[in-house]
Amino acid sequence: MLTERRWNDRTDITALLGAFCFFLSAVEYMVPKPLPFMRLGIANLPILLATDLLPLPWYLVLALVKVIGMSVISGSLFSYVALFSLAGTMTSAMVMWLSRKAFGDLISAIGVSILGAVSSNAVQIFLARVVVFGEAARLIAPAFLAMGLLTGIALGVFAERFVAVSLWYARAAGAAARGDAAARGGDGV
Amino acid sequence: MRVRPLDIAAALAAAVVIVLTAVAVYAPGNAAPEVVISGAGGEWIYPLDTNRTLQIPGPLGLTTVEILGKTARVTDSPCKNKICIAMGAISSPGQWIACLPNKVFVRVEGRTARGAADTGAY
Repeated sequence: MLTERRWNDRTDITALLGAFCFFLSAVEYMVPKPLPFMRLGIANLPILLATDLLPLPWYLVLALVKVIGMSVISGSLFSYVALFSLAGTMTSAMVMWLSRKAFGDLISAIGVSILGAVSSNAVQIFLARVVVFGEAARLIAPAFLAMGLLTGIALGVFAERFVAVSLWYARAAGAAARGDAAARGGDGV
Repeated sequence: MRVRPLDIAAALAAAVVIVLTAVAVYAPGNAAPEVVISGAGGEWIYPLDTNRTLQIPGPLGLTTVEILGKTARVTDSPCKNKICIAMGAISSPGQWIACLPNKVFVRVEGRTARGAADTGAY
């Protein structure tokens, strides 16, 4: 069945979530920022959802797509800002992946999202200190980390609700689970 | 929606990190003051506890500012009266040295007061 095959194909899911990253980056870009680095992080939502949908290689591809999408839309692809985005996104993606896989049912998207947001911001503060502002970067650290906690919670709550009601997610997650079973040599049902 | 134990743990851990960072950054006493130098070309901020010599461009030429031993002073200036050199060294927040002819302004600021202006200036 075509539909079944479509959902079993992770490239489809990766591409769709990648497109969402582009779209949400554009939405993010429209929202006024009180301070330059204070982002909502909504473009991370597809990555957060993907922790349960994609195998690690495709998951990392998705994170890279998000970095490129964000940089293209904000016009910062060939500037040092893209370096911040790359480091922040890759760190948070790995932290979210590891916390999801390590803690399983003990953690929900909320906790995963908080860990991802705060680690992303921590890495960016570190980079700001090394690359741009030097010592003065520490001044923005508390507010920036607090922003990460708040947006992390908000994004996590949204993701939890989305997972609970989305038919698309249910089908994609079902396909992912079947794919995993097939990969382990199960019957894939 | 069900909040899991590690969600709360993650939020608490993040909150602890934020509080510790805020204490480390904003606590009075352990923050070294900074030297803020305004010149014709912009504004520069340097920690007062790192020794260095700076050349600040102005309309008359280069004003030399030396940060040494947690004090800042103007050691050379292309201006006529050399009042800025005569003003000597500054080290506490609020103190300043100005060279009007060369439009260079050097002041010492405490870290606590810098926060908003610094991020806003970016």
